[in-house]
Order: sequence, then structure tokens, then C-alpha cells
Amino acid sequence: MVANKFSIRYKILILLTVIPIAALGIYGLLAVKVFRDDKIAYVFDSSRNISASLATQVKIQLNSVLGTAKFLLQDYLLQGQFSTLSQKLFENEAQVEAVGVFKVLADRKGYTVEGRLEKSKDLFDSIWAGWGPEGVSILDTAIQKKRLVKKRIGDDQLFLLEVASSPNRPEVFVFVIVYRGSEIKDVFSENKGMQAFLIDHEGKVLFGPEADEGIALSAKVPASFLSRDSKTVTQGAEAVRDSQKKDLLVSYSKVGFSDLMVVTAVDQNRALIATKILVRKSGFFFVVMISFIVILSLLVSRSLTEALTSLFLATRKVSEGKFDFRVNVKSNDEIGTLAENFNLMAREVSRLLAQTAEKARMENELLTAKTVQETLFPLSKNRVGPLGISGFYEPSSECGGDWWHYCTVGDRALLWIGDATGHGAPAALITSAAKSAATIIELLDVTPAQALELLNRCIYDVSKGQIMMTFFLAAFDFKTSRLTYANASHEAPFLIRKSNLPLRRKDLLSLNEVTSPRLGQARDTKYKETTVDLELGDMVFLYTDGVLDIQSPNSQPWGEREFLKALIQANVDSPSADVSVARFVEAFQAFRQGSSLIDDVTFFVVKNEGSENTVKI
Amino acid sequence: MGKFDSMVDRKGTEILVSLVGVIDEDVDFSQLNVAGAEKVSVDFSGVKSINSCGIREWMKWIALLKTAEVTYVKCPKVIIDQINMVDGFLPSNGKVESFYVPYYNETTGFEKNVLFRYGVDFKEKAVTPPAQVLDDQGQPMEMDVLEAKYFRFINK
Repeated sequence: MVANKFSIRYKILILLTVIPIAALGIYGLLAVKVFRDDKIAYVFDSSRNISASLATQVKIQLNSVLGTAKFLLQDYLLQGQFSTLSQKLFENEAQVEAVGVFKVLADRKGYTVEGRLEKSKDLFDSIWAGWGPEGVSILDTAIQKKRLVKKRIGDDQLFLLEVASSPNRPEVFVFVIVYRGSEIKDVFSENKGMQAFLIDHEGKVLFGPEADEGIALSAKVPASFLSRDSKTVTQGAEAVRDSQKKDLLVSYSKVGFSDLMVVTAVDQNRALIATKILVRKSGFFFVVMISFIVILSLLVSRSLTEALTSLFLATRKVSEGKFDFRVNVKSNDEIGTLAENFNLMAREVSRLLAQTAEKARMENELLTAKTVQETLFPLSKNRVGPLGISGFYEPSSECGGDWWHYCTVGDRALLWIGDATGHGAPAALITSAAKSAATIIELLDVTPAQALELLNRCIYDVSKGQIMMTFFLAAFDFKTSRLTYANASHEAPFLIRKSNLPLRRKDLLSLNEVTSPRLGQARDTKYKETTVDLELGDMVFLYTDGVLDIQSPNSQPWGEREFLKALIQANVDSPSADVSVARFVEAFQAFRQGSSLIDDVTFFVVKNEGSENTVKI
Repeated sequence: MGKFDSMVDRKGTEILVSLVGVIDEDVDFSQLNVAGAEKVSVDFSGVKSINSCGIREWMKWIALLKTAEVTYVKCPKVIIDQINMVDGFLPSNGKVESFYVPYYNETTGFEKNVLFRYGVDFKEKAVTPPAQVLDDQGQPMEMDVLEAKYFRFINK
């Protein structure tokens, strides 16, 4: 038997494990991706709101300062100097430290300080001097931009530069408002998980983390919006990777004051820390689920495959010839039904094997019985005194219920033919009993009627009336050529007298002068006998009724008419017994054409041929 | 219908048993209830064949009738052959009221069964067959039996 190469248990286990793992894995990946994307969107949205909020705050602050300074500017442009009112107003503005007025020289080749408002003497000059040579370029830029905000690194002072001119005067003035931007600085220095930057028109950081002030933000945050001209876009967001390979979620909002812009940057890793927690927890849940599934799969596959394994082992046992092996599966599912059917099949195979063995044994016994029974019959061709004898016997199965025999007893030849009820082994047993009895009877000097009486008692005692035998027994006296016969309800033989004329139907003389009950019908039956002459050349045809029952291949019975025709043709020229039998056999075999016999077929011919020869029995 | 069937028609103490089919070892005649019958007529016209086991069963059953007057009617050849051959097939107190005699025309191949009736075509020890039996073409037919053998039950 072929061994299983890959157990179905492992297949089920793999099926029950891989599918959930794949499903959970795919689901987990999708869930994490969706959650991550959603989180990123949320962070973008939040940071953009924050940047917008910061931008608004800055704008309000600066507009507030500028609003105050507007009056001072107007006053200066009208008066050519700051009035007392302006000075009073300036002094009340705590956050405005100084205001300086630069006049643009002719041809714009320089600037002169025309006016000042200071909280202390020379404050403005000292503050402005801090710019050094850069101060001129700042003023130039202010001229170009009309409005400019500047700040020095390490200081929270803001310089609001506003270009203004008087409608009555040709001069152009640059008002420099020195404003203490500590509130704005506080806003941008707060770190709530993100970095916020206020950058100027050059992209330099005005306010932000202390270390980043004054640097170009694009060097730290390579966002595309820092390098492109995006005047029309006031807000935006972008994911970037900084110089330290750190992923940032960046958003921006224009302040709407000068070219200031608020930029917020969030560390993506920090922002997505919830995602990582989710992944970690999902992973843990995944492992727990898979472990549970694997354990469950092991249990389920075991319960499933245990029955299949039992069946597999059972089939192996059966293939080894152990048909008494049974499967012990008690489930109510298809496998349980399969096991029950397997047990039924094994039982049936066992039964059939036993039946086959029994049949083989019986067939062997029948063959042995056939061999034994064949010894009950005499030579099919022989000479007994003046009698030529030739016979034929063919049972319809292994053993037959017909029997014929001949022997000499003193100066007589005894001729026996009988037919037991039915055929096959039971009938054969009766013929065996008949032969045994005949062997004893032959030792006695009895007439055919007396012989049948003895034989009847034997058959009756053996079969208890269940099986009977028709029988015809004749004794031919060598000296008188007389044939004495008794008949126990057997087919009457035909006597065919020697004649020079062609044989006709009417010439077939039925030896039916006497008939008596069958052997075995009653224990004390008396049999009658009679005598006919069997002259030289006369012959007798003895047979059983099976001869009339033979059929053609299309089940047509031979019948008495054809039987008689064959008998007449076989003996039309008064042939020897051998030739007569050979002809008759040829005739009925031609009709039969090999088809099965309905009943045993037995017949033999006895002819008074006159000359005596050695008796061989 | 199986290979054998039977029917019992009772009129007082007279019973007509009709048999049809094959009489063999499978036939159970004990089902034929003829208790109390004084006269039993058996119609064999439907019998196709009978074998040695069937003969045994029949003789067991017919022996149960004992004192009843038994009459066989419309016996086909297979039954007449048994009556002639088997001693006791027809009880000692029984008689054949009618039987079929097969006729045959060798030339035309026609076959016919002619019913012989007691008192008409035969009586004790005497058979008076029809002077001539013709086939459907008007050709004379001859008896298809060995008379000495077939009519033995009449002549003995």
C-alpha cells in the first residue's frame, strides 16, 4: 500500500493557519496604512491650523504696533518733526522702544537720520548701530518692499521698516520702529511637539527655536514652498525629509504682513507614535490570535484527522489481508458514515472471502466427488458374454444423479440404469448408495424384481423418502437369451428387433410390460418382473429422461419426436452397440451445440452380438 | 405470475384444481386446500413440464386425498408420460377423463393436440382415435406418439 506523503492533518493545519495569518496580516497592513494616512492628515490639518493661528497672532501684533506708529508717521510727515503729542503717545507705548526716521537722500545715494523718538537718549542710534553696514542694505530693501520686518539674532527686538512720503514734500522717509517682540518670541519658542518658525522674505528665521534664529530655513527644512514663488498660495503643507534624514510634516501660513511667513514642522515619528503603538498592540493581538488559531487548528485537525488516520490504518490493514480489522469512529458526520461503511465493506469482504473459500472448498469436494463418482461407472464400451455394450454419461453439474452399470453373475449379465430425484451432489450420494447396494446384490442369486426390492430398501433407508430413484434392472441369460426385467417407474427402454427391413417408429418396442413404484418411495414395495427374448442381433436402448430434456442454444427442447428420429437413424442398419451409441451421441450433440444440460444424460445400448468374449468390468 | 400457479374451485364436495406452469421442487402443493373433498378433478391443461422433484411433490400431495375420487382432465403429454411411467402418479382409484394426443404432419410441420375424452375416444383397455385428423391446410396428420407406450395407462 502506498504511504501518505504529506499528511492531511498538516494540510488542514496550514489551511487553518495561513488563511487567518494572511487575512489578519493584510487587514493589519491596510488598517495601519489607513490609520497612518489619517493621522498624517490630522497632523497636517492641526499644524496648518496652528501655523495659521500663529500667523494671525503675529499679524495682529504687528498691525497693532503699526497702527500706533501710523499716527507718529503722519504727524512727522505733516510737521517735519515729531510733535509733543507724538512724543507723549510714544512714551505711553511700552513695547515700542524707539522710532527712527531716515530720509532718503537725493538720487537715493544714502540716508540721513532726520528724526527720533526714544525712551532714552541716543537709544535709537545705538540700536541701529548694531546693524552695522547691513543697515544700509536693510533700508534699501525697505525702499524696494515698502514695508519690511527685520530682527537681529539673539535679540527679540523687531525692526518694522515702513516707507512713507508726504504728499506735500518730495522726500521719501523710512520709518524704523523698534519694537520689543517678546510676546511673539514666546509664541514661537513654545514647543508643543512641533517647531514653529517665523521667517522673513529671505526665508531666514526671525523667531523659532533659539539655535535656528537667523538661519535660512530651507537649509534645515528643504520644503519646496520655501524655494518657489508662491505668492498666490497662503497656506500649505508638505512632508519632507530634513538634512538629518528625519521625516517632517511641514505646514505654512503667510502672515499677510510684509513677506512674513509662519512655518511649523512636526517630527513625523513623533506625530505617528500612536500609529506605532497601534502597530505594536496590533502585533501583540496578531500573535495572540495566531497562537489561538494554531492551537484551535491543532485540536480541530486532530479531531478531523484522527478518524481519517483510523481509516487510513484500517485500509492498510485490509491491504495486508486483515479483513477482521474494524474502525472505531463514533462521529456523526460524513467521516463517521464513511467509517461505518468501511466496516460494512470489510465485513462484507470478509463474508465474501469466507464464502469464496467455502465455495472453493465445496468445488474441490465436488471435484473429488466427481472423481469418486466416475469410479462408480463401468467401461463405456465392453463385451459381456454375447452382449456388446456401449454407453454414454454426462452429468449436468459436477456430480450427477444418473447411474448405469453392467456385470455378470453366473450365466447372466445384469444391466442397471437408474435416475435419482433431482441432480447434483444429493442425487450423487444416492447413486453411490445404489452402487454399494448393487455390489452386494450382485453376490446374491436373485431375480431383477428381488434385486430391486433389496435396492429399494437400501435407498429408502438412506434417503428417508426424501430422494427417490427410478430404476430399470434387467438380467440377460446367456444360455436362453432371455431378458428378464423389472422397472421402478423408470423410462421404459426400447427393444429393437433385428430386421432386414428399414427401421421404423413402430419397430421401437417399449419394455413397459411391468412398472412398479420408484425406489425409496415405500420401504416394503414388491416389484414385478417380466421376460422377453433377446435374439441374436436384437438390441436394447436404455436411457434416462435427461436425454429428452436436452436443449438447443436457443432453449428449444429436443423432444420425443426428434429423440425417436435420432434413435431410428442410429440403428437403421442394425449397427454394433458402439456404432449405435456413437451415432446417437453425434445426433444429440449436433442439436445441443454445446449448450448446458438441464438434467443428467445417460444411455447405453446392449446388443446380442452372439459371440462370447472375455468379460472386462 | 411465477412459473407455477394453481386455482381451486370448490362446489360442495367437488373440487376442481387447475394447475398452470412448471411443476418442480419449488412447488408447494400443501397450499391446495381440498379437505373434505369427495371428488377432486385436476385440470393439467396448463402444465408445461414436470421434473422428478415435481413428481415427488405431486405424489406426496395426491397421497393425502386417500378416499377421494380423483379425476385427471385435459392431461398434456408430459403428464401422460408420467402416468405411464411412474407407478402411483395416478392414484389407484383415479382415472383419466381426458387427455391430449399430439398429432403431427411431417410434410407441413403442423402440430396439433387433440383432446381424447373418456367414453368418446377411449375407454377401459380400448382407444378409438379419430378416423382422421387434418391440419389447418386439410392435410392428414399422424399421431406423434408411440401408441403402445402412450396409451399404456389405458390398456394395462
